[in-house]
Amino acid sequence: MRQRLIFIGLLLFAAIGADAQRTSSLKINEILVINQDNYQDDYGNKSPWIEIYNASPGTVNIAGCYLTNDPSNPKKYMIPKGDVLTKISPWQHILFWADGQHSRGTFHLNFALDSIGENYIALYDSDGHTLIDEVTVPAGNLPNRSYGLVEDGWTQAKLDEAIRLNSRYKDGSQLWVYFDDTVADGRYVTPSSNNKILDTNEKIENFKENDAQGAGMTLTAMGVVFSGLLLLFLIFKLIGNIAVYSSHRRAMKASGLSKEEAKGIAQQSGDMYAAIAMAIYEATELHDEEHTILTIKRSVSSYSPWSSKIYTLRETPIKK
Amino acid sequence: MDFLSFLGDNLATFWTYTAFANFTWGHIIMLFVGLLFIYLAIAKEFEPMLLIPIGFGILIGNIPFKDAGLQLGIYEQGSVLNTLYQGVTSGWYPPLIFLGIGAMTDFSALISNPKLMLIGAAAQFGIFGAYIIALTMGFEPNQAGAIGIIGGADGPTAIFLSSKLAPNLMGAIAISAYSYMALVPVIQPPVMRLLTTKKERLIRMKPPRVVSQTEKIMFPIFGLLLTCFLVPSGLPLLGMLFFGNLLKESGVTRRLAETARGPLIDIVTILLGVTVGASTQATQFLTLASVKIFALGALSFVIATAAGILFVKFFNLFLGKNNKINPLIGNSGVSAVPDSARISQTVGLEYDPTNYLLMHAMGPNVAGVIGSAVAAGVLLGFLG
Repeated sequence: MRQRLIFIGLLLFAAIGADAQRTSSLKINEILVINQDNYQDDYGNKSPWIEIYNASPGTVNIAGCYLTNDPSNPKKYMIPKGDVLTKISPWQHILFWADGQHSRGTFHLNFALDSIGENYIALYDSDGHTLIDEVTVPAGNLPNRSYGLVEDGWTQAKLDEAIRLNSRYKDGSQLWVYFDDTVADGRYVTPSSNNKILDTNEKIENFKENDAQGAGMTLTAMGVVFSGLLLLFLIFKLIGNIAVYSSHRRAMKASGLSKEEAKGIAQQSGDMYAAIAMAIYEATELHDEEHTILTIKRSVSSYSPWSSKIYTLRETPIKK
Repeated sequence: MDFLSFLGDNLATFWTYTAFANFTWGHIIMLFVGLLFIYLAIAKEFEPMLLIPIGFGILIGNIPFKDAGLQLGIYEQGSVLNTLYQGVTSGWYPPLIFLGIGAMTDFSALISNPKLMLIGAAAQFGIFGAYIIALTMGFEPNQAGAIGIIGGADGPTAIFLSSKLAPNLMGAIAISAYSYMALVPVIQPPVMRLLTTKKERLIRMKPPRVVSQTEKIMFPIFGLLLTCFLVPSGLPLLGMLFFGNLLKESGVTRRLAETARGPLIDIVTILLGVTVGASTQATQFLTLASVKIFALGALSFVIATAAGILFVKFFNLFLGKNNKINPLIGNSGVSAVPDSARISQTVGLEYDPTNYLLMHAMGPNVAGVIGSAVAAGVLLGFLG
């Protein structure tokens, strides 16, 4: 029974771990409601599109999940199974055409978007009731202007952290923003591509600007290295003291020694015990003078534990 | 076309495919470097396990050929060498080597005298000294970080970090790290003598106490949890190091421990050495940056050695008369295991033939492995 419980526990643990890289890491990333001169599909049509982003380091298969624009009907469009293109690589995107023509293939939805009013869009897991992500695109959309996350896959917590770290985002920055190629604010409509085009490595630039001499890095990193090893030192100082104390107690219990005598025994090194043992041996084992030669002989063994039953089959531990 | 001219044309075409028709002086220089490595390994026994594979790898990588899409070179996708090189570029050889190192390392010296861990931390100044100098020489911060890690004196760590931060410099960094690890017996003793007094060199340290198996089992578990909670980016290296050590110390996974410290580490060392050597194709390797990296590598070893020794001297100011540490073990914070610890022993014996420092020096030596992996994790976290 206990073994069964442990097995189920391990299974649940593995399932929770695996879920971290499943559909739960998918995000609705960018939506274009009125597509006049933007991206076109393989049929040459310019239709509204919805971009989904995989915000995890593992490939995620979106097949079997549901996309909907109706809160009362989560299972409006099931993303078909059996299409290899539904696998989204890590940190990559996939695009669905909201043209109401699902007969055109996997990526054509059976609903279209409302070009005048607001649009509710949701992504549900394959069970049809677990909500993965949802967004409402406000009414009053302009042609060729998309609505998306300020950076791919970001959450409000991530934006708040970026604001706190005094990066390029300030108080009042919004998580969902408009992208328009005609406005010179660095935000472009980017179907199947990153919402924020990163043309520099922010971390490196930050170091070049604020720590050109490397003193900051040295102090910080050495601080971390010392802290890590200091922590280990403190823990093992404590563990060592406990180990020495318990060996005192064992010695006292076994031989009836006083506390001070036991303390002396527990703190001796192994080589001292070896020397004492050697001295006792010399004193008690009486031998004639022998002519012996001490040598080192290479031991050659063709034996391999891989083929040994002794090694491959361990005994079942004995329960006490 | 008559038959003879057909044969002549074929031979002429064949000639263009030979190394004779394609060699440059760069290739010749690199071939001599490879031969030098092999010579040092065989004649001087400088790190033969590393220098033989790397040296021969340099020979393999510097036989020139016509670039005709035959999938021969290490940088040609799909070639045999390129496939083997994936373990380096993707960074999975170094953690496997750390698994083996963990399975063969006895942390008893460190557990019995845990304050020696701090020496392993101090020696990491070599990394950041080289980082600062590399920045002043005009390297980008990520490149400087990758170069600085040479001062950690840990080949797998250097390869792991440079593959992430500066893949284009990885060949030079790896060769530099392994070369200077082999040259530890040449680099360290003068620095050790310069920075210590005769009285200090004669300090006798208390013999380490016996460490129980429970303590040995707890070390990899606590070591992993404490260091990786602090620096999760060090997880691939530290995770495998401590895992390997638990295999060794648990006492119930002897077969796994023997495989990790035997056949596995041997196989990975061969593949790592030969592919790193082969990655030094003259066209990619012989640059001014490589020369600078070699200079910085030497400096980083000197700084690391000096930092370890000076830290011990400073530490001794706070220790009781009977607990003093011999500063000659300060150099062993440079984690070239076990060479730098052996240097402590050798130099110590020169001044007192009965003062055996090896066991004491192994403490900072293995702490240096942990310290350099933590430092690599920090650099990766900041610059990756």
